[in-house]
Amino acid sequence: MSLPDFKLLRPRSLAEAVELLGKHVDVQIVAGGTDLIPSLKQRLFIPAYVIDIRRIAELRGIRVIPGQGTEIGALTTLTEIEHSDLIRRDYPVLQEAAKTVASPILRNMGTLGGNICLDTRCLWYNQSLTWRTSCGFCIKKDGDLCHVAPGGTKCWAVFSGDTPPALLCLDAELEIAGPAGTRRLALRDFYTNLGDARMKLARNEMVSRVFLPERTAGYRGVYRKLRLRGSIDYPLAGVAVALKRSNGHVEDARVAITAVNPAPLVVRGVEKEMVGKSVTEEIAAAVGELAARTAKPLTTSALTPEYRREMIRVFAKRAVLEAGTK
Amino acid sequence: MSDFSIIGKRIAMVDAAGKTTGAGKYTDDLTLPGMLIGKILHSPYPHARIKRIDASRALALEGVVAVVTGQDAPNKYGILPVGHDETALAVDRVRYVGDNVACVAAVDETTAEKALELIEVEYEPLPAYFDPEESMKAERDLIHENRPHNLEKDYHHVFGDPEKGFAEADCIRESRYIANEVTHAAMEPHSTLAAFELDPYSGALGRLTVWSSTQVPYYLQHKLSLVLEMPMSQIRVIKPLVGGGFGGKSEVIPLEIIAAVAARAAKAPVKITYTREEVFWAHRGRPRTIMDMKIGAKRDGRLTAVAARVVQDGGAYCSYGVVTILYSGALLGAIYDILNVRWDGYRVLTNKPACGAMRGHGTVNVRFAFESQLDEIAAEIALDPAEIRRINLLQPPCITVNNLRVTSYGLPECIEKVVERSGWRERRGKLPRGRGLGIGCSHYVSGAANSIIRSDMPHSTVNIKIDRDGGVVVYTGASEIGQGSDTMTAQIAAEVLGCTLQRVKIVAADTDLTPIDIGSYSSRVTFMAGNATLRAAEEVKKQIASAAARKMNCVPEDLVFRDDLVFKRGSSVSSVPSGVDSVVAGRVEGQILRGSLQQKRKEEVPKDWMTFEEAVVAAIDFHGALTGTGSYAPPPESRGGSFKGAGVGPSPSYSYSAQVADVSVDEETGEVTVHKVWAAHDCGRALNPVAVEGQIIGSVWMGLGQALEEEMVWKDGLLMNPGLLEYRSPSAVESPEIEPIIVESIDPEGPFGAKECSEGSLAATIPAIANAIYDAVGIRLREVPFTPERVLAAIRARDAAAKKLDLTEGVDPTAPTRFREHGGALWFRGKGPKRHELDPARRAEQLAGGDD
Repeated sequence: MSLPDFKLLRPRSLAEAVELLGKHVDVQIVAGGTDLIPSLKQRLFIPAYVIDIRRIAELRGIRVIPGQGTEIGALTTLTEIEHSDLIRRDYPVLQEAAKTVASPILRNMGTLGGNICLDTRCLWYNQSLTWRTSCGFCIKKDGDLCHVAPGGTKCWAVFSGDTPPALLCLDAELEIAGPAGTRRLALRDFYTNLGDARMKLARNEMVSRVFLPERTAGYRGVYRKLRLRGSIDYPLAGVAVALKRSNGHVEDARVAITAVNPAPLVVRGVEKEMVGKSVTEEIAAAVGELAARTAKPLTTSALTPEYRREMIRVFAKRAVLEAGTK
Repeated sequence: MSDFSIIGKRIAMVDAAGKTTGAGKYTDDLTLPGMLIGKILHSPYPHARIKRIDASRALALEGVVAVVTGQDAPNKYGILPVGHDETALAVDRVRYVGDNVACVAAVDETTAEKALELIEVEYEPLPAYFDPEESMKAERDLIHENRPHNLEKDYHHVFGDPEKGFAEADCIRESRYIANEVTHAAMEPHSTLAAFELDPYSGALGRLTVWSSTQVPYYLQHKLSLVLEMPMSQIRVIKPLVGGGFGGKSEVIPLEIIAAVAARAAKAPVKITYTREEVFWAHRGRPRTIMDMKIGAKRDGRLTAVAARVVQDGGAYCSYGVVTILYSGALLGAIYDILNVRWDGYRVLTNKPACGAMRGHGTVNVRFAFESQLDEIAAEIALDPAEIRRINLLQPPCITVNNLRVTSYGLPECIEKVVERSGWRERRGKLPRGRGLGIGCSHYVSGAANSIIRSDMPHSTVNIKIDRDGGVVVYTGASEIGQGSDTMTAQIAAEVLGCTLQRVKIVAADTDLTPIDIGSYSSRVTFMAGNATLRAAEEVKKQIASAAARKMNCVPEDLVFRDDLVFKRGSSVSSVPSGVDSVVAGRVEGQILRGSLQQKRKEEVPKDWMTFEEAVVAAIDFHGALTGTGSYAPPPESRGGSFKGAGVGPSPSYSYSAQVADVSVDEETGEVTVHKVWAAHDCGRALNPVAVEGQIIGSVWMGLGQALEEEMVWKDGLLMNPGLLEYRSPSAVESPEIEPIIVESIDPEGPFGAKECSEGSLAATIPAIANAIYDAVGIRLREVPFTPERVLAAIRARDAAAKKLDLTEGVDPTAPTRFREHGGALWFRGKGPKRHELDPARRAEQLAGGDD
């Protein structure tokens, strides 16, 4: 399969990239390329322009801003995050999540920004043009039917990034660059929970940096991922837990899930369930139930939806126990 | 006899350097001046009539040189003489999603892909069949008009007296097992480059040369000749490096013919390389199989009878289907001593890509059912699972009830070894909850005793040429596909001739240069091509010996060939030099001169040793360049019975395997972790132990994939996972430690006693894991793969007290009943593609009220 014809633009600064984004209409951004390139080959996108942002040095690296927190450039690779002593020490849940993404070779290419902006996935969508022609197209691309939920008009393609649930647990914020400069947005307000228009990003904007607040530094964290194969696989269900303990009691706690909805979601009601208590089997089981209730898996991915939701429950319970007692 | 200099040594593959540095050339690495790229248009329908094809817009596109369709090469072909049901491109009918409709040859890939979109095809959809048991009831819209009820072939064999056997049994188990469809997933996608010679003045087409990633160059040459209506002598097939076959390249794959047809139309070389999705459509893997298995045993563990009904979901074309179904019955024999057997086999056509041969051809799924049920019997009569296998061993040499001749038989030692190494006696049943050990055995042929082409020709022939440079060139038709065939050939030639491995050059699988060998499949190469090499080398050695003996004043029988020297038997060690490397390294010119000098010197003092090179030059001085030929045909007594279907199953020799798997099962998630597999394999003699171990490890690993993860999943004839992301072969992460244990039974007819080692181990892995899961958590899984949701569903079914949660749509993986279109590790209640309203699948859905 060949790539479609497009013009490749290679800006050297964020300003130049934003300018190009504003100038051209039919654009895709490529960083690591692990998500976009296969999709281009499958003709899920046939852009007139592709902006290769890899040369923008200012968007690379991890930096502590004293008194505020940690800033991670959108182009920082998942391998860099996996091997960063700073991330391992202060934000272990992010490190755990980053090291489960795909395989070592793909993590060398894939970036944090790319993982956040990952296209939603569905077995009826991530297929070649020939396959989709044979199947009849779907609501996300070229068609008007959702094969997963044929009655409705909503796209249920599933968000399959590993790092965003971890970032959600850490109250991460995004820096978004656009023609009017940069703006900040809490990650939890970034996603729409729609399979097609998946994120609140204007056509001429791009994610440039990620901020982790100093407040959540040192939170204990666990990320658990359901997959059939030990490497390469996208999550079929994923649970991130981050919590702060003092004197054996939970002071603050957050649980987020991925790969079972069109967006990564923070599980509501976890603080109420956990804060002020010490983590027990019962509390962990209750959080597991909350997480399972938040999950709405459909037949977008391998394994049955029922099983994937059940694993959200089991994984959340186990992750909470591990983070709360280890 | 066991004192060898090269045989039995751990030797690096002779083609390893090129593969590891990237210098080696695979088919897709090749280019020719003026070469075009071919792209194939595939059918979007599982079953349809082609009413019209209009390629004029595609042809008008700048850069497109030719567009070919079914009418350009309508002759039928197929790998089996009884199954000539394929055409290069569809002639008026398509039979599966992905069937080949047209091919564009253009200046580059992008242009060819654009041209595909410009070809207009008008289809008339026909009802399609996706479930073999439904398909067998078909009365109309048959997939092939000459196959009533869409039945490719059915066989019904009875040996001994099964009724009496079951009547005598104290314990009978009967259940249905289902194995879902898996594919080879070789790293290298299929690729073919075809080029005709052109007369420079008239432009007329001359000879055809085809480079292709194939396991069977001679079959390809033959089928090309059928389809293109050219004499075989005008076609040359060359096999470059092949990146894995596993059976997926053991027959003629559509692109191989299509590339030649397109090259003929374009009058230019055409290369086609499949995308991974196209590899899945070309497929020829292991069919989904339903097995109704019944075994009877006495209270002491002796088996009294076995009955099996096997239905294979074969896809839209015959491929190797008749052979696959026959193996599923024949290989119930030749492993245990069973006197009464009933077997009914059905190979059914469905509107899906054709299934064919895959590593462990025909035996793997049935072995899973048999070995699982054997454990159930052992549990019922309270016998150790290893013990029940020991009780039922054969007593070779013997002929089984279905006329299979068993000579060497290392199964007893295999069982003993894995039991010992795994700590079976001490550990089994005493492990913590959730952890268990399981055993499984298997066997396989060392090549089929009857070739698929009925003829008296030898199955392998090998030529050897040695000229004055002292280089030994072995010409063999055997196809190196990564399994080590070239290395094996070089080792045997070097051992017989007593020369170094570095002297030996292998020229393989080029139909112009090498004598006929029927190919690399059914694990036949070591046994058959190996024997042919041995004989060819012995013939050449005889010529060298007679010349050398004259120079040394002795009889040829007194000479020993070893370590690049020829010396008199019993000559004192001190008189034989140890460092002869300096002699070997001489220049060609010098060697030629030296040969003549040696001859003169000979008259003066006869010595009691010569270098290999001197001996060769001496022989050439007498005979001219040395050549020898050897061939192998299986002995008549190994060729089996005369009943219908008796041709498949017989082999000159069988390999044996026993394995123990150590697994743990997470009872809350259903995830299965395989910690270790002990795999003992009787390969006759390990010619190259490191290669044997590699094959054992690879087989276990491939079996692990089928046991836990791999599964092709369909929705209304559409493959839902046509890529290596969603078709999951295990990664290094979940691959267990595998301890290969080599057992050497020294086969009386194999080359140096060697036999099969690359397929037989696979079939034991799946039941070993199934039995270990049973030992760990007490659930008996009867459907592979054992994906976590199936395992968890079975655990929940076992534990009635647990909260009931339906994970597998009410289908109990411990008692599967039928194939589910949307079954498996991927689950589709979604809306599939629009299909013909008379589809059986659609009718069933309407009756059930739909699944949306």
